[in-house]
Amino acid sequence: MSIQNVASAPPSAEVEKVSGWRRIWQQDAPGYLFLLPWFIGFFGLTLGPMIYSFYLSFNHFDLLTAPRWAGLDNYMRMFTNDPKFSASMRVTLFFVVFSVPLKLAFALGVALLLNRGMKGLTIYRSLFYLPSLLGASVAIAILWRQIFAGDGLVNKFLSIFGIVGPSWISNPNYSLWTLIVLSIWQFGSPMIIFLAGLRQIPQDMYEAASLDGASKWRQFWKITLPLLTPVVFFNAIIQTIEAFKSFTPAFIISGGTGNPINSTLFYTLYLYQEAFGFFRMGYASALAWVLLALVALFTAFSFLTSKYWVHYDD
Amino acid sequence: MTDAPMKLTVVGVETPKWRKQLTSVVSHALLIGASILMLYPLLWMLAASFRPENEIFTSASLIPSSWSIDAYFRGWNGLRTSFSVFFTNSFIISILSVIGNVFACSLAAFAFSRLEFRGRKIWFALMLMTLMLPYQVTLIPQYVLFRQLGWVDTFLPLVVPKFLAADAFFIFLMVQFFRGIPKELDEAAMMDGAGPWRIYWKIMLPLSTPVLATAAIFTFIWTWDDFFGPLIYLNKMSDYTVMLGLRTFTDSTGTSDYGGLFAMSVLSLVPIFLFFLIFQRLLIEGIATTGMKR
Repeated sequence: MSIQNVASAPPSAEVEKVSGWRRIWQQDAPGYLFLLPWFIGFFGLTLGPMIYSFYLSFNHFDLLTAPRWAGLDNYMRMFTNDPKFSASMRVTLFFVVFSVPLKLAFALGVALLLNRGMKGLTIYRSLFYLPSLLGASVAIAILWRQIFAGDGLVNKFLSIFGIVGPSWISNPNYSLWTLIVLSIWQFGSPMIIFLAGLRQIPQDMYEAASLDGASKWRQFWKITLPLLTPVVFFNAIIQTIEAFKSFTPAFIISGGTGNPINSTLFYTLYLYQEAFGFFRMGYASALAWVLLALVALFTAFSFLTSKYWVHYDD
Repeated sequence: MTDAPMKLTVVGVETPKWRKQLTSVVSHALLIGASILMLYPLLWMLAASFRPENEIFTSASLIPSSWSIDAYFRGWNGLRTSFSVFFTNSFIISILSVIGNVFACSLAAFAFSRLEFRGRKIWFALMLMTLMLPYQVTLIPQYVLFRQLGWVDTFLPLVVPKFLAADAFFIFLMVQFFRGIPKELDEAAMMDGAGPWRIYWKIMLPLSTPVLATAAIFTFIWTWDDFFGPLIYLNKMSDYTVMLGLRTFTDSTGTSDYGGLFAMSVLSLVPIFLFFLIFQRLLIEGIATTGMKR
């Protein structure tokens, strides 16, 4: 190495040119060291288990004896010979299709009302948010079971008007609806996200529109909603995935059974029964992969169609 | 005299004052009605826990005919194991989870938002993908793993994943916040010879207390509320959390002691409600800035 060479190379380039182990140590090691806990978790608790779960889904496995290869048996049984699988799929899809849009509609409606510069905005916002914070609790599921019981709060109110209500939770026609109502009751957190989104819309757009004589109704459809679509999209995805994963309320309200007549047999509840009630771990793994496929399909579909309805400003 | 009509023609769409007031009154009426409807069940449960047992199923009002805290004593010792054990267990699990989550997630978030290393983008993308993953897919192998390790019937399966930053949501939350902290601060510290650890510990963490607090509170609440994890991993009553205790209460008492059940339900919500009262602004801002679940 000539003196001239050393002299002409700026010191910073010298550091960057250091190669091999020293470079790895200086540039890459800190990042990987900071990520170490996450890496252990990612490989040990997420990726590894995913692979093993995929393998198990092609096996019979009762936890006590070694897994036995079953080929496609689990999947065949699911799609051809398992009425409880189809029942749980129906219940879950019904729940998702009704609870998510209704919850989002409530969230958006209340957010629009609050966004008109109402006095007491923060108080209303907090009150409406409270159920979202408490709602996942077992205590709320217990309360719900009581409210919609034959002698529950709802029927007390109906009796004021001379209506004799059924026992909502033990009637298969209504039991799932009590859970949908519970989900809608927790509209607070998407509402807060909608409020944050509404605040991003520039006020001068509305001023310009009303100068042009656009009605409030027209302003909503032509300005508010299009500009809010990214938030709608975000909320819809999050809420749908949450709805697919919902477990505790159905478990508590039906006492872990999914009854009456499987009307509250959420997919997650059925999976739990198969895995930890009957110890059919292979079958339960197959159920989990079908759930993953369903969620992945939904997410992919949403993202692919989003460019046709979600408005992004460049 | 012709002043008012003139004005109307000039600014044709300006709504008259009386209409504005009317819509305001109607909006408030709607919102107050909705608030009452939403909070009524909660208040009713609170009232039910204080009223005489025979009145619980006959009254829809919010004021008990006579007040009594008997139900709280009955409920507290209503099961073979007292609720003091369940509350202690829940607190231990929740507090350990908070420590684990705040520490592990902030480490990961610091790496993702501040450090340069090869593969960062790929790992970050993978981390985001785990956000969408239904936990059922890893549930059974995790159970097999923890069973092999002899961790079933201990708190470890509920707590250790938190120390491994398993809840990617909080990493994401913190990355968003860290990105808002000016990079000049790190660069200045680096000039002074500070390494990544010192920048993390002395600069990032002290400047990030709002997001760390938000993560801590949400971790506490979600761990406190968690039912599925304890249901699977804790089988001995002496290990039960409050949520498992409540569930056992509904199973074992059937219809006999609703007063006690409601009293314990109310108590189980108290820690969450206190967090809500004290930190509601932080929680609401946390949700608003990231957009999120539950």
